[in-house]
Amino acid sequence: MRADAALADRNASVRAAARSWQKAEAIDEPTLKAIEAAVPDDRHRVGPVFRVLLFLFSVLAISGGFGFVLLLVLEPLKDEGWGFAVMAILTGIALTVLTELQIGRLKRSQGGTEAATSFAALGFLMGGVAWFVFDPLDLPDDRAIPALLLLAAVLLAAAAWRWGYPLYAGLAAASLLAALTYVPGGRLLWIVLALLAAPFLMRRSDSERLPPALRHCFTAVLIVALIGLYLAVHLGSFDLGAIELVRRSFRDLGPASKIGTLRWLSIAATALVPVVYLAIGIRTRRYPFLIVGLGTAIASLFTLRIYVHLAPLWVVLTLSGAALIAVVFALRRYLDSGPAKERGGFTAEPLFEDLARQRLLEVGVAVASFSPDARTVRDEPKFAGGGGEFGGGGSSSEF
Amino acid sequence: MNPDVANAIPKLVESGILPPENAPLLLRVARRELVSVHWELRMLLYAGVLLLTGGVGVLVAENLDRIGPVAIAAGIGLAAAAALLWVWRISPPFSWREVKSPNLAFDYMLLLGVLLAAADLAYVEVQFTALGAHWTWHLLIVAVLTALAAFRFDSRVVFSLALTTFAAWRGVSVAWFGPGLLWDRAESAVRWSSIACGVLFVVLGFLLKRMDRKAHFEPLATHLGWLLIFGGLASGLGEAGFWLFYALGLLLGGAALAAGAYRFRRFPLFAFGVVAGYVALTRLVLELGELAQIFGCFWFFGSAILLLFGLIVAQRRMREPL
Repeated sequence: MRADAALADRNASVRAAARSWQKAEAIDEPTLKAIEAAVPDDRHRVGPVFRVLLFLFSVLAISGGFGFVLLLVLEPLKDEGWGFAVMAILTGIALTVLTELQIGRLKRSQGGTEAATSFAALGFLMGGVAWFVFDPLDLPDDRAIPALLLLAAVLLAAAAWRWGYPLYAGLAAASLLAALTYVPGGRLLWIVLALLAAPFLMRRSDSERLPPALRHCFTAVLIVALIGLYLAVHLGSFDLGAIELVRRSFRDLGPASKIGTLRWLSIAATALVPVVYLAIGIRTRRYPFLIVGLGTAIASLFTLRIYVHLAPLWVVLTLSGAALIAVVFALRRYLDSGPAKERGGFTAEPLFEDLARQRLLEVGVAVASFSPDARTVRDEPKFAGGGGEFGGGGSSSEF
Repeated sequence: MNPDVANAIPKLVESGILPPENAPLLLRVARRELVSVHWELRMLLYAGVLLLTGGVGVLVAENLDRIGPVAIAAGIGLAAAAALLWVWRISPPFSWREVKSPNLAFDYMLLLGVLLAAADLAYVEVQFTALGAHWTWHLLIVAVLTALAAFRFDSRVVFSLALTTFAAWRGVSVAWFGPGLLWDRAESAVRWSSIACGVLFVVLGFLLKRMDRKAHFEPLATHLGWLLIFGGLASGLGEAGFWLFYALGLLLGGAALAAGAYRFRRFPLFAFGVVAGYVALTRLVLELGELAQIFGCFWFFGSAILLLFGLIVAQRRMREPL
């Protein structure tokens, strides 16, 4: 990232934290204003609704403009693809420059348009190169696709590193994993790579030397690596040969390996990996491990239901639903009964945390149910943490 | 962990900006020494409610013959009653204003009770055909009862369920019984039913806010209402013969909503209006002249660029919070 963008990102992170403190009534409005003055923001940012609108209409304008020029210039020439590919690559380069200009000189961040130009730049570059790979070079699929996936991984990683978009970082990791499925021993590579990378990614996602956006990029890669590891050891994926299926070769690993030990290892790993993720999540209090651990635990239970007929479906659903509700009640009671309503560094009380994460969860719940999030709990912000009391600046001393 | 915030807190305290008594807790959170699982627990509760009600649905579908309809109806009814009784016992007194939830599980247990009660009612109707040919009315009954529960227990989750059930009642009624006197095709009837339902929700939202009765429910009713109106109008854009009428309606409705939302700083409504207006205008422009493909591309390019400028100006004036 550019030095000025990195500094702005660090300041934005402090300002966002201050806003969440104010929302939770930990600080008052004048304190928030003072913090915002102390960590100034020189970026042009817009709110979430306008960001989405600006992104959508920017992508529409870019696509329309490209189509217009393409039809205007190339149709009379009866172009058979070369012109399209060259123009796509040139447009991709131009959009890359435009993104740099917006993030650099125009100081835009969270503005929608710079995200749109970066997104379109990657799309056009990939589209242009794909035409060369498939048409003039006429490479067979098993070489063309991994080559393109590798290129996508490199481009996305470079874009994430330069512009700080965690989505690109996650997609880069996913592209790399997808490319590895074409390599002999792809499943093993998924496992080894994730195991080797995880400690490094955990360190980088907390690194003080990196700005928040890049830390989030490493977190995104970590999440993809954890999911990849689980998929690689998962019993269903092993039995189906899901990874080997891509290159139509079952010789190295997977079901056709005919190695019974591997299947037993896969069974054990399907059960244990979620437990290990959750244990690391609880031990280190890292959300990515907790969330992925929870998701993979559900997937493993679902797998168990598929392989072993424990009970009729309605019994499994009803009991697991009731058990889940009971677990939440028990967990809540356990955490609440601790000193200052916390145990082992965890609390069930809402804290002034990352608003984006909170919004993401709210949206997830709302989308899943076509309904809004549940209302706030009584006295929600009044958390009495063990580390001290709040009361300065006019805020409540009960916080 | 947020090292930037963790580094900033001592400096803010030193410079006298942040009261020192606030710092320890803020630092613990920034250093990940204290982590909240509040939202994760909510998610799990919600998943639990969905699994449980899903299980009940499968039970009803698969075990009808073995268990018998009376036992199933009574069982689900008892479960619903137990959940609602728990909610009733701990619920705060009724108020027309927003009431804080007594605990984390309250809304989800209420949702569970309401969903089970609705499933029970549907089951009873299917088994015993209490409403006969007017069976779709059970959806209206569920919508009304759900709305009453939403108002009594001040639950936005349940209120949205009431609105969607009401919309489903209109949709099912029209689709099942076919077109009425006004429309020759069921498709048109569903479309107009959607628009009418949307208008009703928008009016309901307006009244809630105007009368200051559960005014915090207003965004739900208004958003869903406009979505139904625009959805209904947009579905008519492909109608041969009448598309122009729908396109003009969508254009005017979108423009009016965007203008109103701009004035009152209603950001999601502003987005609805802009997108609806743009879709309608695009339909009009591309259709009226039966223009070449190249003009279509130019339209998307030029109109989007103009709109982008307009949006940048609008966001500067509306100042949407980050």
